[in-house]
Amino acid sequence: MTRAPRIPNLGGAKAFILHRPHPTVQAITRQLSAIGLITLDCWPELPPEALAADFVFFDADLGFDEQFPWKPGEAPMPLVALIGSEAPGRIEWALSHKADAQLLKPVGNAGVYSALLIARQSFEARKHLASEIASLRQRVAERQTIVRAVTALAKGTDDGRAYAQLRSLAMSWQISVEDAARRIVAMTSEEATGEEGGDDQSHRA
Amino acid sequence: MGICLKRRIEIGILYSRSGSYQLVSDACRIGAMRAIADINADRSSGIELVPVERDPQSNADRYATLCEDIFRTSSARHVVGCVTSWSRKETIPVLEKAGGMLWYACPYEGFEANEHVVYMHACPNQHLVPLMAHVVPRFGANGFLLGSNYIWGWEMNRVARDLIADAGGKVLGERYLRIGETDVSRLIAEIRATRPNFILNNLIGTSSYAFLAAYRDLGHEDAAFSPETCPVISCNLTEGELPAIGESGKGHLSVGPYFAPRPAAFASSFEASAYASVQVMADVLSSNPEAGPAEFSRAFAERRFSTRLGPIAIDAHSQHATLPVIIGRIADGFFEVVSREDEVAPDPYLSRYDPAKTFGRPRLRVVS
Repeated sequence: MTRAPRIPNLGGAKAFILHRPHPTVQAITRQLSAIGLITLDCWPELPPEALAADFVFFDADLGFDEQFPWKPGEAPMPLVALIGSEAPGRIEWALSHKADAQLLKPVGNAGVYSALLIARQSFEARKHLASEIASLRQRVAERQTIVRAVTALAKGTDDGRAYAQLRSLAMSWQISVEDAARRIVAMTSEEATGEEGGDDQSHRA
Repeated sequence: MGICLKRRIEIGILYSRSGSYQLVSDACRIGAMRAIADINADRSSGIELVPVERDPQSNADRYATLCEDIFRTSSARHVVGCVTSWSRKETIPVLEKAGGMLWYACPYEGFEANEHVVYMHACPNQHLVPLMAHVVPRFGANGFLLGSNYIWGWEMNRVARDLIADAGGKVLGERYLRIGETDVSRLIAEIRATRPNFILNNLIGTSSYAFLAAYRDLGHEDAAFSPETCPVISCNLTEGELPAIGESGKGHLSVGPYFAPRPAAFASSFEASAYASVQVMADVLSSNPEAGPAEFSRAFAERRFSTRLGPIAIDAHSQHATLPVIIGRIADGFFEVVSREDEVAPDPYLSRYDPAKTFGRPRLRVVS
């Protein structure tokens, strides 16, 4: 039986609040301490220690790119945007930093806990998707290798059977089809080099 | 001797006088009213508390409107009330709007820390976690989870699922009944079929009484379901409900900050906790009758309060009380104390919960 991922225990997690001294900071700090997080507030810049933070809350109203020790959209932890004025330009800027959750100012007595959980979940999902996309990209880039491997295996006969052979080789070597194709292409080109001057059949269409 | 002029302060009382969880509601109300009477009779106290009472009749939708009514028609800014978490959550927006405070005297499922609420009874690290830590090594880690169909049962069972997993056990079933439902035959059949080591009972009121009665009958048919082998464990069962439960409760376990000694100052922890709520409230109001959330927060950070429950500290960040954790076994109309730990600080978000400390190292399995 697979269980749904459990609600994470946030005790001892570290959160930075990037906001000028303001009652908003107190309201967030109160909620964060009740939940059990260690809270640090700073303005106008995030200190180097922020790189090791578990969460960063940032002011969307007065924020600017240079406050962050990373490029817009590349924060290594979940971000929560603190939005006061809903000016489109400010929302656009907050979006450029890929905030994972938001809290509307003034911050009242609640909202921080769900923002933490939502930010964490969407940050993890985004990270997971990005790595999946990277690996798919890499596989797509190997299209040509696959074509070459299938051609080499077919040796002018049935392409369908050659592709099936490639797949079963990949399975028996316990590697991806792309890696198997690369191996086959390498093997055939080695053969080709070995037979230099001879009839280069492996590269024949 | 001069005439002692007491300053009159109105406070709201928001407890249901009828409905399926009336016994609990009554216990809280009795505690609050007794505290009011005692403070009013105390010549050394400079205030006279005037109760402004409303009866939501166990209808969750009536709490918010009646709380609003208290704030609109009286000068009260403090309300002692609410039994279910459902009603508490309904009331919070009204408290925020009016700058009022709710003194909540019942155990609840945790994961809340509102500036406008003072949580005077136990939260999960003061009830469910220690109760499970007690039960798992003695009975086993496989549990069957029951609840009434609203937030208390849902959230308690969610935490219980995590705790059972940490203890290396299995959740053998999880079932909910509508509040007031008394047909428990299916639950009993499922428990009989799955043979758990314990049953976590988050049913409330009449559903809970019906279940305990049916479970006792099951125990008569099959000794595997006796309290000695497979107890029903609860985090909100007190003396106040024992008359309704009768013989069928005997031997089962509950946890709370207070079980009534004999003779007892209070009949149950609900009564004790509501009494202490009014005491702490009056303590601050007597020196500052206008005190609101900010002033109370400061007072909580600065000092402890002497109450009939003993000295009480209230965590200024979460506004939850530090409480004793007592595990009790139901005997003839009272609870035998099985274990007791004093001054357990509140941890409403279970952020200090440590599975290894709670359940010890996972037991090694014998490999043959």
